[in-house]
Amino acid sequence: MKGLVIMFHSESSSIRGAILARAPASAARLLLKSMRLRSLLLLPLFAVSCPRDSTAQPSHIISGTVRDAETGEVLIGAAVIARDLGSVGIATNAYGFYSLTVPDGSHVIAIQSVGYRTQTDTLLLDKDITLNINLTPQPIRESDVVVTKERSNTNVTSTEMSANRLEVHEIQEIPVLLGEKDILKTIQLLPGIEGAGEGSTGFYARGGGIDQNLILLDEATVYNSSHLLGFLSVFNSDAIKDVKVMTGGIPAEYGGRLSSVLDIRTNDGNMKQFDGSGGIGLLDSRLTFGGPIVRDEGSFNVSARRTYADLFLKLSRDTALNRASLYFYDLNAKANYTLDDRDRVYASGYFGRDNFGYPDLFGFNWGNATATLRWNHLFSDNLFSNTSLIFSNYSYGNDVSSGTSEFTITSGIRDESFKTDFEYFAGPKNNLKFGLNVIYHTFLPGTVTATSGTAFNGISIPNRYGGEYAAYIAHETEVASGVMLNYGLRYSVFQLYGPGDVKTYDADGNVLTTASYGPGEIIKTYSGLEPRVSANFTLDDASALKASYSRTSQYLHLLSNSVTSNPSDLWVPSSNNVKPQYADQVAAGYFRNFGDDEYESSLELYYKNMQNVIDYKNGADLQLNPDVEALLSYGRGWSYGAEFLLRKRSGPLSGWVGYTLSRTDEQFADINNGNPFPARQDRTHDISIVSIWQYDPVWTFSATWVYNTGNAVTFPSGNYLLENVRLVPYYTERNGYRMPAYHRLDLSATWTLGPHSNLNFSVYNAYNRLNAYSIYFRRDPDDPNKTQAVQTTFFPIIPSVTYNFTF
Amino acid sequence: MKLSCWMDDGIVGMMLLLSAATMAGCQQVVSIDLNKANPHIVIEGNVTDQQGPYVVKISKTGNYFEPTLSFPAVTGAAVVVTDDAGQADTLRETEAGTYESTTLRGIAGRTYALTVVAEGETYQASSSMPAKVFIDTLYSVYRPSGRGGSGYDIYITFRDPPEPGNYYRLNATSSRPIPSDSIDGERYRLYTDKLTNGNEMQERIRAGDNVLVGDTITVDLLAIDQASYDYFNTLRDILQSDQAATSLAPANPNSNISNGSLGYFAAYTVDTRKIVIR
Repeated sequence: MKGLVIMFHSESSSIRGAILARAPASAARLLLKSMRLRSLLLLPLFAVSCPRDSTAQPSHIISGTVRDAETGEVLIGAAVIARDLGSVGIATNAYGFYSLTVPDGSHVIAIQSVGYRTQTDTLLLDKDITLNINLTPQPIRESDVVVTKERSNTNVTSTEMSANRLEVHEIQEIPVLLGEKDILKTIQLLPGIEGAGEGSTGFYARGGGIDQNLILLDEATVYNSSHLLGFLSVFNSDAIKDVKVMTGGIPAEYGGRLSSVLDIRTNDGNMKQFDGSGGIGLLDSRLTFGGPIVRDEGSFNVSARRTYADLFLKLSRDTALNRASLYFYDLNAKANYTLDDRDRVYASGYFGRDNFGYPDLFGFNWGNATATLRWNHLFSDNLFSNTSLIFSNYSYGNDVSSGTSEFTITSGIRDESFKTDFEYFAGPKNNLKFGLNVIYHTFLPGTVTATSGTAFNGISIPNRYGGEYAAYIAHETEVASGVMLNYGLRYSVFQLYGPGDVKTYDADGNVLTTASYGPGEIIKTYSGLEPRVSANFTLDDASALKASYSRTSQYLHLLSNSVTSNPSDLWVPSSNNVKPQYADQVAAGYFRNFGDDEYESSLELYYKNMQNVIDYKNGADLQLNPDVEALLSYGRGWSYGAEFLLRKRSGPLSGWVGYTLSRTDEQFADINNGNPFPARQDRTHDISIVSIWQYDPVWTFSATWVYNTGNAVTFPSGNYLLENVRLVPYYTERNGYRMPAYHRLDLSATWTLGPHSNLNFSVYNAYNRLNAYSIYFRRDPDDPNKTQAVQTTFFPIIPSVTYNFTF
Repeated sequence: MKLSCWMDDGIVGMMLLLSAATMAGCQQVVSIDLNKANPHIVIEGNVTDQQGPYVVKISKTGNYFEPTLSFPAVTGAAVVVTDDAGQADTLRETEAGTYESTTLRGIAGRTYALTVVAEGETYQASSSMPAKVFIDTLYSVYRPSGRGGSGYDIYITFRDPPEPGNYYRLNATSSRPIPSDSIDGERYRLYTDKLTNGNEMQERIRAGDNVLVGDTITVDLLAIDQASYDYFNTLRDILQSDQAATSLAPANPNSNISNGSLGYFAAYTVDTRKIVIR
């Protein structure tokens, strides 16, 4: 029998896991037992039953991998549908794999993916079969003449909500600053996701902070996603295959951050032939190269880019300026090899570094390094697994020259993790996912190395060590006709380990007690259950109601001296003083497609409550402070809003209109006299209009317009005099004022010069709106008795041109 | 020394470099409509190891954009300063809102307490006067070129005591009136021995062309307590609001005065040295 049944009975307050399955399932049982999931009693039943066990009609499995016919790249999220059975179907997973169980007999199987010609196969099923599919890319202009069901309605039929997948061509056609393409800038154009400020790759998801986003690059956590202080992200869009962002109803397989998951997968490389692409822009140049290791068995892909603003600085006559450094580079590399029908291995890595320096003044450098080793294994035609070993490192260095003193500050965080995930395709509309994840964190809060002959003593804030463990199980099934339910549970544990001194503090931040722990000793343990539920009530082929609830826990926190992301930002673990953050979110939405699924629309409402959000005591000095934990205050945050999205994915004209109406407040006992105040990320209105128009095979145009309410900021409501001369601002309420509204239009035109090259012209901020980056107050230079407000604008109208090529 | 300031400097520097690189960035004066807060009490009191009288000033806040340097005085307050050696002095109001001591003598190592009763409310604060730290050397060097152009650098050295927990403030003024009240525009020059405990400290002030041959430069080294450092440090944060682009939400400085008063009460020692630029 190919069935798997997991049931939990309450018996003398313990769980008995009855697993009737093969080896991997017994691994699952061990996993569950070891978790001591007594609280699972809360769940009435966790049951997956295979219809073949209960129904008379025999059925079999169709499984395989969906690929691009030209490159052999596996396709993520392609729909495989038994058309004769109505909407019975499945989407390919992150490795292009699908498994569909259907009754024996003759079936019409349709395989479709945006940007590809739909392929239809008729087959007679009387045994398990492997059906690997190669889809042919479809020129964009062709799709408007093909009127059959080219388009998918999975956005309506799936239980997934508050999630968006970006097409690579969308990222490629939407220019951001200086003609660069950037996924972190592009996702900010989706409802529910707001940019943290002009020129920032940081983003807020449904009122959550910048550090509440889990950013994964081939499963490795990226701790700092910004190049050039956030003007660009660390993700080279040439290397990217798939981008998915989730702000609600987060599946149980993800955890560790409160507000969103950004799951980025890179290209595997061409399995058929060597190819490459590149670009020459004003800011940087890029080159990507890939090809088969063994044709159709293994491939590799390498992408690199580097900026060259510093090369212009070298031309300067100023002896300081021409020694200044200002550049970043990054490298994505990936290789994969198919061992046999059931096993495939991947190795991927990222390395990037920013360097910024001014002679005798400062030098900064920072960067991420990640490496992922993965093994896909098919235990059977309907039990898929992936096991990963992941390494991630973020480090930051700062050389400081002040007076005659020189020293170097370094800090960072390092992760080593193991992760295994199983997908069991039990039957039509019946899937089970389970797995576990172990991360060992090393926190490096900061070390000062003083050069000789300075007044500075070296200082080192001791490293901290933590383990983050999670196990999850999630089951998606049709509970009644037209009602799909995805319910899951994640159990997460965080432990802080020695060696280290653990202090307690009084309300003023003075040390009360200090205790020493040895290596490996457990200092503090936190754990929690995170239920995740989402449901789809299908109304008809083109419309559905969806609802979700999710609880998320976050054991790592980002301490920042600034409101945007800085390279010096410090990740700290939960401890005896620092509490984990928790969020509960409910969301409901109406999803409707129009025009034969040509237009997708959705309206979602959400409410999110966040516990233990972190702010800082006034004057908190977060750098190199051994007592940084005494400088934090904890409060509550809550966010609610409505998000509207109308999207057209196919045809010569594609794009979307997004609108978010929301409110986010925070409350801290020791801030703003304990009264609630608008969070900095509170944005009442947020509008994005994105359009991409392929006018003819030669010209493609795109336009993007954004509008949002200004950030909540603190301005003075009075002033006073100190030391006879100093006018000091008097603040009465936190975030009581607003920055001016932000809006901007970007235009782009791509001129296809031939089959292998194009020129992209773009204009950032086309109508030259002088948006406020910051507003500060100063004494009027012409009248010292007066004070004036001064607005800084960083980016007026900026035209640029980029040359792109493939070979 | 506050590291984050250097970080901020660096980050602002990077912003400027980036702006230059993108040929962009501009500033303009804009009109902002600010609320008018109710007037709030401000108390400013200093006790030093120098000859008195010591002054406590009591005033009220005004409207932010109102063009004035004069603020409403709080008159008729009862102001008393005591120390932990039994001194007590009731201050006299010599002009509206200005209260001066008569008998009090500031002595290093003692703790001073301030009590103000004004408009029916009582405000209290205390401050410890640290041991005196002396300037070892004071000299100037002419720098023909470099960052900020040519001009005079003023160097000050002093030795931090062996025990940790020392805090300092440096003031440098010129005999010749200059636009800013400090010779290089730096308003709060504050130091801790967090990274430099027990060491010989050398500080440089890049006076540039604010200082000419013949000028007399006066440098005061103040040894202040931790609460005063915390106050001036958080005061500096909001006065350097031109860095607001990257800083966190501003808030009123951490005052050591009770009952919600703005301002501070500080006891400190002062060592003054002068140098004539040659």
